[in-house]
Amino acid sequence: MSPISFEELAVGYEFPATSYELSQSLIAQYLEAVGGQQYFLTSGVVPPLAIAAYAMTALSQSFSVPPGSIHASQEFEFLKLVPIGSTVSCGGKIVQKVQRGRLHLLVLEINALNQDKEKVLSGKATVAIPT
Amino acid sequence: MNQKLKLSDIHPGDSLPSVVKHITQEEINLYAEASGDFNPIHIDETFAAQTPLGGTIAHGMLILAYMSEMMTKAFGESWLSGGKLSVRFKAPAHPKDTITTSGKIDSVEHKEGAPYVNCSLESCNQKGETVITGGAVVKLQPIP
Repeated sequence: MSPISFEELAVGYEFPATSYELSQSLIAQYLEAVGGQQYFLTSGVVPPLAIAAYAMTALSQSFSVPPGSIHASQEFEFLKLVPIGSTVSCGGKIVQKVQRGRLHLLVLEINALNQDKEKVLSGKATVAIPT
Repeated sequence: MNQKLKLSDIHPGDSLPSVVKHITQEEINLYAEASGDFNPIHIDETFAAQTPLGGTIAHGMLILAYMSEMMTKAFGESWLSGGKLSVRFKAPAHPKDTITTSGKIDSVEHKEGAPYVNCSLESCNQKGETVITGGAVVKLQPIP
């Protein structure tokens, strides 16, 4: 499926659910990138920001925005521990799309569920998109 | 991963253990590889130089990871499964910046029999400019 363009995104649009495995190697790579926090590997728990980062990347693959778009604000709620090796499914929808001067602001709701369909993370991201 | 702070240790005005990180383009590239976020504003120096930002910037989620590291150090499992974070990105973090993430406890509330700790958080660069500002709420889990 080709990514939906930014112009086509409308309030209420729901992103297709996407699953991803939070494997040991993926989390090790993430921890190297964020500079440490190796205690997550020994405890066997996924860092909550890793769940969020992969959920946002998974959702962003279903739509395209102009290069140079940046984060304006972010909310997260971490609801349950996620063991390393889990498969998480994420989804989301567009809740707001407004123009402010030379920027568009796109507000997305994000949710991630574990294998038992329990919500492990919810959040809201505001992305500033240059026109 | 145990909770680090007990309720009896927590007082409004207390500082959280700060986290200091030096940002490099190599680390930004590593984060792009790890997260799959290859937005050129982070990794393409030629493209980024032509934008109003004047150069590449770190992923906001990378700086947020430092904030979460601080909260994990302070609150352990209570943060990982009972934390709420709300932030605004005020300024970009560029390669060669040193980012200091700090926080303090604003208040402790009891709701439905559970203690909730309200914190204010900030990440600043070496010039003292605020990069991220916001707040967090942690529902403290009972310590056995």
